Amino acid sequence: MKIIDTCGAPPPADGRVEAREKVTGSGKYAAEYPVEEVCYGVFAVSTLAAGKLKSVKVEKAKEAEGVIEILTHLNKPVVSGFSDETKIRESRLGLAVFHTDRIFFKGQPIALVVARTLEEATYAASLVEGEYEAGPFELDFDKARRKATLASTGREKGSPEAWSQAAATVEAEYTIAAEIHNPMEMHATIAHWVAADRLKLYDKNQGVNNVQRTVGRVFEIPAENIEVFSEFVGGGFGSGLRVWSNTLAAAMAAKMVKRPVKLMLTRPQMFMLTGYRPASWQKVKLGADREGRFLGGWHQAMNGTSTYEDFNEWITGVTRLIYHIPNLKTEGALVPLNLSTPTWMRGPGDCTGDFAIESAIDELSYVLNMDPVALRLKNTAIDKHPNNGLPWSTNYMNECIETGARMIGWEKRPSKPLQLLEGDWATGYGMAVGAWNAGRGYASAGIVMQKDGSVSVRTAMTDIGTGTGTGMRNIAHEVTGIPKNRITIELGHSSLPAAPSQGGSTGLSSVSGAVVAVSNDLKTRLAEYAAGINPAFQGLKADEVQLTDKGIALKTNPGAVVSYHQIWEKNDLKSLELEASSGPGEERQKFAFCSTSAHFAKLRVNRRTGRVKVEKYVCVADGGKIINAQAAANQMSGAVTGGIGMALMEEMLIDARVGGLIANDLAGYHFAVNADTPVIEVAFINKPDVNINPSGAKGLGEVGIIGVAAAITNAIYNATGKRLRDLPVTPDKIIA
Amino acid sequence: MTKHQYSRRFFLRSSVAFTALAALPAGVKAFYVDVENVVLPPKQTLPLKIKVNKREYEVLADSRTTLLDLLRENLGLTGSKKGCDHGQCGACTVHINGERVLSCLTLAAMVPGQEVTTIEGLAEGNELHPMQQAFIECDGFQCGYCTPGQIMAAVACVKEGRTGSVEEIKEFMSGNLCRCGAYNGIVQSIQKVAAQ
Ligand code: FES
Ligand code: FES
Repeated sequence: MKIIDTCGAPPPADGRVEAREKVTGSGKYAAEYPVEEVCYGVFAVSTLAAGKLKSVKVEKAKEAEGVIEILTHLNKPVVSGFSDETKIRESRLGLAVFHTDRIFFKGQPIALVVARTLEEATYAASLVEGEYEAGPFELDFDKARRKATLASTGREKGSPEAWSQAAATVEAEYTIAAEIHNPMEMHATIAHWVAADRLKLYDKNQGVNNVQRTVGRVFEIPAENIEVFSEFVGGGFGSGLRVWSNTLAAAMAAKMVKRPVKLMLTRPQMFMLTGYRPASWQKVKLGADREGRFLGGWHQAMNGTSTYEDFNEWITGVTRLIYHIPNLKTEGALVPLNLSTPTWMRGPGDCTGDFAIESAIDELSYVLNMDPVALRLKNTAIDKHPNNGLPWSTNYMNECIETGARMIGWEKRPSKPLQLLEGDWATGYGMAVGAWNAGRGYASAGIVMQKDGSVSVRTAMTDIGTGTGTGMRNIAHEVTGIPKNRITIELGHSSLPAAPSQGGSTGLSSVSGAVVAVSNDLKTRLAEYAAGINPAFQGLKADEVQLTDKGIALKTNPGAVVSYHQIWEKNDLKSLELEASSGPGEERQKFAFCSTSAHFAKLRVNRRTGRVKVEKYVCVADGGKIINAQAAANQMSGAVTGGIGMALMEEMLIDARVGGLIANDLAGYHFAVNADTPVIEVAFINKPDVNINPSGAKGLGEVGIIGVAAAITNAIYNATGKRLRDLPVTPDKIIA
Repeated sequence: MTKHQYSRRFFLRSSVAFTALAALPAGVKAFYVDVENVVLPPKQTLPLKIKVNKREYEVLADSRTTLLDLLRENLGLTGSKKGCDHGQCGACTVHINGERVLSCLTLAAMVPGQEVTTIEGLAEGNELHPMQQAFIECDGFQCGYCTPGQIMAAVACVKEGRTGSVEEIKEFMSGNLCRCGAYNGIVQSIQKVAAQ
């Protein structure tokens, strides 16, 4: 195991493959591609939460200078995939923008003003007014959830009677406010019809092939007619996993005005038009025997959704993932509200459920008068998946916990609250764990080698900041031996080898297998060519040869080299192009896979002002083999930063009487700034999972945030004796 | 937007007008029913001479255009990022006369006669600025979208001498949000350059 210092561990100046573009500002994000004749679209949005849009007054806006067209549900060119209710439902897009007169939420687009310049479009959009027939609306989650009916979310284990006599029991309710992804780059699209049935999209998303398929379905044109560029993506956290109204509206408008249209959402629009983590309510009952062995659990959960689409976060899944709980019942329900549809946000479901479960376990530890670390170690399901019974391929949860405890100095934690006091400040320690079913998708990767020995490794997969490209380069280097500076990466473009969307911590886990495969293919192909020049290469397998910057060499005799030059000349090659795919197989029938994390926080709480200062934070994770230590540690500390925001500040603010959001900008919606976080310490188990894929890497994106919120609130309890079960824990809740 | 929700630009341009309006009796105020048309008149353009990264540009700019939009949409300098357009995130940070400024809160009309430096003007040819190099080495970013703003702010932070401790750096870099949470690397990059 290695504690990763995020600065300077690998050779300096090495950095990420795209580092130079990012630090010089030359990398092109969606809205930044120069496209000739481009004009600008700006949404005008509904001021009402529910009802019917009778008409849209566009006359004034039309007179404003520079306006080219105003797109509404009344004049839009009908998109064939949205031509009737059935098709709209089948498109699975939820909101068929401009193809309905129904208003589902405040902030729903009612018009797209297209003008020559951004200023003109912005001004004209402010002149558009909707005429509505108001309908009844509900935005109060807490009120609406009381009408929802819970239903089972999985097979019930054992029975409630079996643990009715448990020596220690806790039971409590937990709530989490809705959170918004708010990637720093606002969602944006440039849509350009290069022919009647051929579309170019420069789009912010987390999966170009998904955009291709979805937009193709809506416009009823073949997916390959749509070219999607997403080479630089300014963050996603899940918001880029669906196709939203900005992409569709830009494509519709571009068709209508016969010019490329650029549409970047405003920050306030980002709060309603690109998904969010829904508000949630949970109730957890947990029982254990005197030694702390879990006897039974009952987990109920509800999450908000929209009135036009069901989004289930599957909050209770995590209860069937981390611990052995012999008697277990889980239930869930959805609560429709007049808001847009929520979507997956970093650690979806598990992150929410984990907060309640990991809080409840902490509460139980005080009832049992037992150390929370010891209590967890007694119950973690490290032998097999507690739900499906398959043995784990690898599960290092206990190692994560033990290492984290050492790193934070857990032995200094007082066993009771209110022990470490200094003036108004109280210090406390808290911990929690997280886990995520480690998935893998079917992905392809290509390699193109030139005569000079340089290669380009490519995939359609995006890199939303996780370091996918750098990971691919590192794998290709490791497998082939080609120096890193001879390897370039191409990604985020739909004509490259197909790959799944980058979400659910499956990005590198999926594409790495394809990169290993294509790298090996390159070696065998070159060995075949080399055999025609030097018979020593006859019949060699990939692992018997090594590639250098000059040519192919025997592993046993690195002096025996056939140069690329020779191979190219002899075979009259222009370039060598290979593609390979890889995906999950029967290992999925034999094993269960998970990534795990342990979180430890030491913090101070000001008992007079309610201020919380996280002083030290340790996150230890198992993500299999770590392909790029620096980027992986960065991703983990970033996820922890997100978790600190979830615990202490992030909250979609709703005025249920008016029927809409308030404070929907970055001054009103707080996530952690630099000063809100300590320097976060990250460590990895760094042992390959040999069954998951050829690279041994499991995903990390989610486990970094799963567990953070509970670690923080558990530490607040340890400091102050206040058990806070409603996120975010803002200062008012602490001093209340 | 309804006419009761005015944009930030509207307020920028209209605050003077409103101050005057407030002093008027109600009957006169009624005269300005459609106040938008009074204080947000149809488009006006102004010829501007602007110096960005030591290069002179002559542009015909909309009077409503911010420096950020001028850079991104008119001059093709897309390195400065738009993360909020409201002065709330720091992604658009540039230097004006060597000081850090939010370009989304600066009208293009305010910059003639001043030296604007953007991320594109920080390197000397192929030679990266030490802060850019430090961000690469310390992995001071993930998605990279906040990065140009972080780097411009970081350069200023060092120049302002606000690098005495991790806490001080964090405090003086808190106007630059990073949703990816690359704060560890950002702080280390600044420490590295400050120590040089
Ligand atoms: S874009 Fe200027 S501060 Fe956010
Ligand atoms: S690197 Fe993504 S927002 Fe900072």
